[in-house]
Amino acid sequence: MSAVVEVSHLTRRFGDTTAVDDVSFSVQKNTIHGLLGRNGAGKTTLMQLLTGQDFATRGEIRVFGEQPVENSGVLKNVCFIKESQRYPDDFKPRHVFTSAPWFFPNWDAALADRLIADFRLPLNRRIKKLSRGQLSAIGVIVGLASRAPLTFFDEPYLGLDAVARQIFYDRLLEDFGEHPRTVILSTHLIDEVSNLLEHVLVIDEGKLLIDQDAETLRGSATTVVGTRQGVDAFVADREVLHRDGVGGLASVTVGRLTPQDRARATEMGLELSPVSLQQLVVRLTGSSRTSSSQTVLEQSA
Amino acid sequence: MSTLTQPALDEARIDRPGRASNILAVVRLHLVNRYSVFAVPWMIMAGIFVVNVAIWWIIFASVSNEADRMDARDGLEYSGALFYIFVYMLVLGIQSVAYTFPFALGFSVTRRDFWLGSALTFIALSAFFSACLTVLASIEVATHGWGLGGTMFASFYFGGADASWIERFGLYFASYLFFYFVGATIATIYQRWRNNGMLVVFGTLGLVMIAGIALVSFTNSWPSVGAWFDSNGPSGVIAWSLVPTVIAAITGYFILRRATPKN
Repeated sequence: MSAVVEVSHLTRRFGDTTAVDDVSFSVQKNTIHGLLGRNGAGKTTLMQLLTGQDFATRGEIRVFGEQPVENSGVLKNVCFIKESQRYPDDFKPRHVFTSAPWFFPNWDAALADRLIADFRLPLNRRIKKLSRGQLSAIGVIVGLASRAPLTFFDEPYLGLDAVARQIFYDRLLEDFGEHPRTVILSTHLIDEVSNLLEHVLVIDEGKLLIDQDAETLRGSATTVVGTRQGVDAFVADREVLHRDGVGGLASVTVGRLTPQDRARATEMGLELSPVSLQQLVVRLTGSSRTSSSQTVLEQSA
Repeated sequence: MSTLTQPALDEARIDRPGRASNILAVVRLHLVNRYSVFAVPWMIMAGIFVVNVAIWWIIFASVSNEADRMDARDGLEYSGALFYIFVYMLVLGIQSVAYTFPFALGFSVTRRDFWLGSALTFIALSAFFSACLTVLASIEVATHGWGLGGTMFASFYFGGADASWIERFGLYFASYLFFYFVGATIATIYQRWRNNGMLVVFGTLGLVMIAGIALVSFTNSWPSVGAWFDSNGPSGVIAWSLVPTVIAAITGYFILRRATPKN
């Protein structure tokens, strides 16, 4: 496996805010990565840095082995779809799809046409007058039909309805199967995409909290439910990611459990349930105690 | 991370089309919406022309004395009607950076290729529109002001009725370039430094102008300033505009080199 993206000690400061804080990771070729985190966590800045749109304060970025800033050789192979993309004032969607092939050498016009029909996108309406969902559809279509070896989707489907989102997931997987490429997807709808993702990066307050393959991550935390006494006894010496309780009942999230742990829990009459990716991210980034949560995950991974 | 120093891993796999094709793609992107690039300027021009024709006709119809007609004709020489068309070009120059630049970057264009492609577009459009205006000016002169003694294209500012077509073309061309590049460069300041940049630049510009006026006034140099304009004539002044045009083109490039489009 080879790395398409390599980042080391990357920092981006704006005045006294640090949007990206000493981040290092690499992205393997032909995988679908999830870049998850709360609003303002630094996801968009990170993607802007990787696509040469923004400039690093410190650290190194290599995309296809080269630094991406003003590097047309690298950028030709990159497509960055962002939620906040601006379009020229009088543009209609057809102008976007007419010009896209001039910039993306692998552009597939047939796929674009099919997606336009799927999303029922009006081609001759001014972009300013499109709905939020239709605006997102333009980005999604460009992102898929450009078939760039490295494609970034930053919150690609704001305003898209559930049917349209499913079309996006289906077409992405379908096309990914036929034309493997590297995809980095940032989204808030973590549960919807969790089956799509092969690798997960979680970023919070500019720091990289998790860099792990999705399979490992899914089993890395468990919620233990039962009587307060039972649960307390079971989790006594473990670090707790999250705790909930109603009356005599308690629900506690802990790190990875061994088969012995599981057997013991069952003996104690406790219920175990896996924690979804979304819950995991919420627990990790929801509190200010992220550092201790992170340690638990690292130990259990 | 020792891997960072390795040579390009995907050297063979990634496409590397030539730089020329990138620049050409930017030119095509600027021109893809033919309506606002070509149709709107002509509609503005047609609108101004119709209004002017109406005014000439009123003058022509109400003044019957031949000497008075000549008098009116001399006055019409100073037509500023074409000015509107150049203002629209200033707006197009601003929009090309304010809207097309963030879009082009989303299409993985480098800033360098964007600026070179934009400059090429401005030059091509200036040449095209100047050629059209030159033809219209020749028709105007040949038909003695569209049969009504009016002046719009062959006005005093663009050489007057006696100018050669090449001189006219050059003056139109320089004017178009000036408005495109100055518009685009103003927009690069906004892209790079947002509102603060605009405030600082226009504030500084205002101060510099006041300082200039003060300097000229206190040294009693107004006559020599007037003499400069007089000796250069409108054509000379327009030709001198190439200096700020070139300065704008170069500074715009360096400002944009470090700009990041934001929403």
